[in-house]
Amino acid sequence: MAWEYSEKTKRIFLDAVQGKPGTHLGEIEDADGVGQHGSIVCGDALKFTFRVRKNEDPLKDVIVEAKYLTFGCTSAIAASEALCALIEGHELTPIEALKIRNQDIVDYLEGLPQQKIHCSVMGAEALEAAVVDWAQKRGVDLAAQGVKLTGETADDDGRVVCKCFGITEPYLRRKIKELNLRTIDDIVSALKAGGMCGACRYAPGGLQDILNETWGTGEPAPTTVAAEPVADTGISQFQLFRKIEKVIDETIRPVLKGDGGDLDLVDIKGWTVYCALRGACAGCLGATRTLQLIVERTLKDQVDERLRVVPV
Amino acid sequence: MNAPRLIFADNNATTAVAPEVVAAMQPFFGPEYFNPSSMYEPALKVAGALKAARRTVAEFLGGAEPAEVVFTSCATESNNAAIFGVAAANPARRHILTSRVEHPAVLEVCREMQRRGWEVTYLPVDRQGQIATADFVRALRPDTLLVSLMHANNETGVVWPVADWARIAKETDREIVFHTDATQTAGKLPLDLAGEMQHVDLLSFSGHKMHAPKGVGALFVRRGTRLRPFLLGGHQESGRRGGTENVAFIVGLARACELAREHAADMERIARLRDGLEADILRTVTHVEVNGHGVERTPNTLNLACHFIEGESILYELMSHGICASTGSACSSGSLEPSHVLRAMDVPFTAMHGSVRLSFSAYTAEADVRRIAEVFPRVVADLRKLSPFWDQKHNRPRDDA
Repeated sequence: MAWEYSEKTKRIFLDAVQGKPGTHLGEIEDADGVGQHGSIVCGDALKFTFRVRKNEDPLKDVIVEAKYLTFGCTSAIAASEALCALIEGHELTPIEALKIRNQDIVDYLEGLPQQKIHCSVMGAEALEAAVVDWAQKRGVDLAAQGVKLTGETADDDGRVVCKCFGITEPYLRRKIKELNLRTIDDIVSALKAGGMCGACRYAPGGLQDILNETWGTGEPAPTTVAAEPVADTGISQFQLFRKIEKVIDETIRPVLKGDGGDLDLVDIKGWTVYCALRGACAGCLGATRTLQLIVERTLKDQVDERLRVVPV
Repeated sequence: MNAPRLIFADNNATTAVAPEVVAAMQPFFGPEYFNPSSMYEPALKVAGALKAARRTVAEFLGGAEPAEVVFTSCATESNNAAIFGVAAANPARRHILTSRVEHPAVLEVCREMQRRGWEVTYLPVDRQGQIATADFVRALRPDTLLVSLMHANNETGVVWPVADWARIAKETDREIVFHTDATQTAGKLPLDLAGEMQHVDLLSFSGHKMHAPKGVGALFVRRGTRLRPFLLGGHQESGRRGGTENVAFIVGLARACELAREHAADMERIARLRDGLEADILRTVTHVEVNGHGVERTPNTLNLACHFIEGESILYELMSHGICASTGSACSSGSLEPSHVLRAMDVPFTAMHGSVRLSFSAYTAEADVRRIAEVFPRVVADLRKLSPFWDQKHNRPRDDA
């Protein structure tokens, strides 16, 4: 699929590559903050630099100039340009600048194709790295200022696994161990990786493969409901089935027969009881509901609260 | 003598490409030849056509999301991708549940899974080609990975309640993946993946059974389904199926989906024609059975079993009258084995070899069906005259047959 960029993205890109006045291509010498993100291996990389108007109190430093060098596609360059435009001329301190998130870049560009969101993430990451650099140079303790880094700062080279969020393999491997992520759902919640298009979940070298390599394929997944043992009831499976049958025969069936219907017990697996309605009940629109209400409630009350009924 | 008008009554095998479909495809063999993945402006239009086609097919599937549609080369590929892909993504589970009457594109893949160490249950069918839901329930196991059951059978047209079975599977165990091969129902029966079929995870179908050309199909993959890509080597289809998109054919498939929706009422007409022909033949020909009689079938399919004569010769004689049909007889198949579907249905051997499948489409005219009704009894009578099992004098089967 060819990328569908907004008119603004296209214009910013063309202005930037043609070096029109007001664009920010370049590198500031002796910059006060330098941040990099991405690598040639990833397919895009951004070097972001800014200069501040220094104050006696470094916390009052204000960013006055921002430039970038970007190796990457149309949207990577436009996103870099957007980042600089959002920062420059707004009298922001570096810590204030950190509030700019990738979504701000996306909004500035009037949207990015879903698969290109990582270009905006790259901008936000490079900004964060540059602020960290500035803080070191100026002796500012970011943590003491209550600044929380998102943790993906500029040290991850390597293959991008999740393309939507631009998340790399080394980062994933580190975080999977660090946060004890065991399933794809864990990863999506913790890192967002795999949460957008989902294509990287089961692709070769994708999230499941990395999980398997980290934790091993291990024991077969615990079997669910269907085989759940009936160990803790104090009665054997056989006795449980007898009890279910007894309740159906003596309590449930007479009620259904009162309405001209009947019920077949098809199977019982673990706590799941499969029933089919016969006779007058079968044609009744409320048949499924009848089963759920009467049969399940009665079985729960008279046999075990854990029983479920599946109409078949 | 002029050759008789061709009556094509083999639409379960393939269909004529609709002229509207050809017209929709035309630009992509001409000026719109660009690769939809390319960056330059002209390619954008091709990418746009691809995107529109995906949306159309998603709508055709009853409100699926466009991202849930993966274009493939055919239903066979879709079936392979579904079964191998689910197995590869869920290595902990080892049991597959399918039926004895699936199309070889499912059956052979399941046999291959058995060779690779998976366990496969092949559900039996009754005399009408149906599966007892109780059998289905009992066959579900704690380690069941995948259920693959066809929506309708290609030989008999018998339709299965897959929406209901999918629900039962999911209510038993959410981890079970439910696949259905809907090649014979797409374009004939409504597919409602957002509604009634909401528990179906994977659905295969093909273009050339619904007036698109051969060489294009699709696999519906419900969001969140664990599936490892089958065809590696490209970012296309969100990485789920590598290979430059067959844009012209995909656009053709989408057009065919639109036509199927527009002409949904046509299926009622076809069902009436089929039912009329069935009644005619049962009235005019003795010792003939309808396979799948009395149960829900696709509206276009009539599978007849004629005792004491052989299907291939029936076809041959029908052809001499300009009628194209197919048979489940052994002689017609490469393996010299009679149809696995009819065997599973326990059709008597005397009739199995005399099975004939007539299948219609929107292009079938009433006159075509009348002609079949007229010719068919003559063909059967002609062949029975040659049959060693037929008592010529009394025009009935021989007592020792």
